[in-house]
Amino acid sequence: MVIATTGDADVLLPPVTTTSLGSNAADRIFCRLAELKLDLNTVDDSGFRPVLARSWEHRDSTTIVFHLDPRARWQDGAAVTAADVAFTFAVYRDPAVNAPLAPNLAGIDSVTASDSATAVFHFRRWYPEQLYDATYHMRILPKHLLDTIPRAHLAGADFGRHPVGDGPYRFVDWQAGTEITLAADSAWFLGRPHIARLIWRIIPDLQTAVSALLAGEADAMEVITSRGQLERMQDDPAVRLVPYASPFYAGIVFNLRRPPFADREVRRALATALDRTTIVRSVFGPFADVAAGATSPMEWIWSDSIRQIPFDTAAAATALDARGWRLAPGRPMRSRAGAPLRFTLLVPTSSQVRQQAAVIVQDELRRLGVEMRIQPVEFTVMERRTVGGDFDAAFVSRTIDPSPASLLQFWGAGESNIGGYASAAFDSLASAAARARSRAEAGPLWRRALERLNDDAPAVFIFSPRNNAAIGSRLENVSIRPDDWLATVTEWRVRAAGDRGRDKAAGR
Amino acid sequence: MLGFLARRLALAVATVAAVVIITFTLVHLAPGTPMLGDPERTLVSPETVARQRALFGLDRPLPAQLARYALNLVRGELGESFTLHRPVARVLADALPNTLLLGGTALLLALALGVAVGALQALRHPSLWDTALSAATLVLYSVPLFWLGLLLLLVFGQELRWLPVSGMSDPALHSALSPLGRLLDVARHLVLPAATLGMVQGAAVARFQRSALIESLGAEFVRAARAKGLPERLVLLRHALRHALAPTITLAGLSIPYLLAGSVLVESVFGWPGLGRVAYDAIFSRDYNVVTACALVTGILVAFGNLAADVGVAAADPRVRLER
Repeated sequence: MVIATTGDADVLLPPVTTTSLGSNAADRIFCRLAELKLDLNTVDDSGFRPVLARSWEHRDSTTIVFHLDPRARWQDGAAVTAADVAFTFAVYRDPAVNAPLAPNLAGIDSVTASDSATAVFHFRRWYPEQLYDATYHMRILPKHLLDTIPRAHLAGADFGRHPVGDGPYRFVDWQAGTEITLAADSAWFLGRPHIARLIWRIIPDLQTAVSALLAGEADAMEVITSRGQLERMQDDPAVRLVPYASPFYAGIVFNLRRPPFADREVRRALATALDRTTIVRSVFGPFADVAAGATSPMEWIWSDSIRQIPFDTAAAATALDARGWRLAPGRPMRSRAGAPLRFTLLVPTSSQVRQQAAVIVQDELRRLGVEMRIQPVEFTVMERRTVGGDFDAAFVSRTIDPSPASLLQFWGAGESNIGGYASAAFDSLASAAARARSRAEAGPLWRRALERLNDDAPAVFIFSPRNNAAIGSRLENVSIRPDDWLATVTEWRVRAAGDRGRDKAAGR
Repeated sequence: MLGFLARRLALAVATVAAVVIITFTLVHLAPGTPMLGDPERTLVSPETVARQRALFGLDRPLPAQLARYALNLVRGELGESFTLHRPVARVLADALPNTLLLGGTALLLALALGVAVGALQALRHPSLWDTALSAATLVLYSVPLFWLGLLLLLVFGQELRWLPVSGMSDPALHSALSPLGRLLDVARHLVLPAATLGMVQGAAVARFQRSALIESLGAEFVRAARAKGLPERLVLLRHALRHALAPTITLAGLSIPYLLAGSVLVESVFGWPGLGRVAYDAIFSRDYNVVTACALVTGILVAFGNLAADVGVAAADPRVRLER
């Protein structure tokens, strides 16, 4: 199966890879102890299925014991042991490695090996997502191949370009900038995958990638975002679109440290003035949802019933009048004490859809008497300015984890709270939700936290795309887990009638 | 001749050094921060970024960084890529041959097409053929590269399926082919990107060649050759065309920067894994070492391409002496 992708990988070593292709390929080579099931239930143990760990048990409120599957082997033949698990935790937490996911392991105090097949996770305190933290953020690494490499040099070590893993696929070849090839491991302990080879073909231009799919040169692509390209594919029998929930939402974040956004009522008025349904339909057609809040349809807390600020231009105008931002006779823009109601919105040049949406937002705000200047900036510049607080408003997007706890990262006291939003009520609700013992208990709390966020309007949440993977019509049994679109690729098949000569030459 | 070459070499080295210093300074002063990753996808803590910056010496003053880079460069070390976690020299070693293959093929195609079309126009001047071809070359020269690339890709790749649309080899079949099969596989993948680059540059060559040949055909030495009774074919090839080639060879040297700049677009459109794409990605990820190294290699290619063109002009026209 040839997968079209737009960017090369950095390294095929899970703790340090930061690229989409790096993760996608490394995740096929290295396994987790357990995997989330398709419904992405991060709270209950029933949401997980065993992989390297055959079973697990909660010994007490701060200890989980994992019993490794004795059949699990590294691709060089060595057994996967509990020492590998403890080593992996040490690697991820070592500051010298600079693993981006290390902060997600803060709840774990230590990992020890009580025998070769039993790994014990000790947590600092009890919380419901202990199993999620223990299994989701780490892919187990081979201690016997990596422990001689200084941790600071791990990212640059040859292992990261010729990895040896314990997963369903073996590394075969990596031609920089061209392609990465993996082959199914016929000896994989959970059964040989049906598709013999995964080849990621790097095609930087999206138009070309779509052409490659339509020309039969590629079989799959993670997501098609452009409305025009989606419509092009809908009409072609060679490809089918497989919809799946998006882990992504986008919206306009206000900088609450700056006037006029320190004023909650002004923020609410701006949110009230935006017809988000029209914006989303104009830009995406049927291929996106209006964001219900700071979440996406991928998360189990998503609900259409989450309370949002309704679109009402008259109410928005009244609210601004009440706060002293009035339209003087003959003037197109509102002002207060001589200061115009004006701000600048940063939009990344890399996102065509956000630029299109920004133009509609600008028009809707102009009708309200608010001047919004659009400043397209290069992505890295936008990063620097938003992280540094140097902005009025920014059209940002977030790709979130299956765990709703990311809400606290972006809107709590975390460093990713770029707008400076602070609310004791929100923090209290979100913290209570994070401590809840079941989805039934946590769900209402998370949704109330989202509603509180919507009410305070530190951002206007605009859209969450309906993700569509492009899949060649010769592939079957395709299912997609939204956080990792190839998580179930071991179950995908090529229809016998869809075999091509090149499949046979490549071992199918 | 040797003195000329020595002076030009010294000038080339100075030019390349200036290019490296300017690029190094500009890329470090440009807004944006390397090693942040993609905060819309993965959160990298400020502490992690700070550690990475210290590891690569980016926390030092800019002059100190430049001095260290220059010292390493003299030792033949280009540093390590921040994003690819590989020595920059290896990144370039992977990409440069591909760009040279694409650029070289495009240059040959441009020269062959340009000289042939230009000569045809000059020999038919004035005629409807000449006018039509002049209009065609003007249009072709005006076409944006990426637009032409996408057009060729849609027609010959996606619709007719005569040629592959991306990459430089078949991802599944290439390794199973015979050596000759692999060569043909790469050649098939080379057609569309090389044609895109070569056709546009060929149009420019044709316009130069036409003017130069029309001028040559009316020159005294051509009339003298005809008066001596030489066959028209020899008059054309040995005298008129050889003389008219000088500006074309100069143009070929000057078109190296164009081909390298064009390769950024063409490599992106056709997924050709060359230097242009490496530079493009490095600029957007603020991979300073890779950006500076790409400028170094490009500077060397341009400087020595121009030098080669000067030598070529002297070889084509015995009246030119390399003494300036």
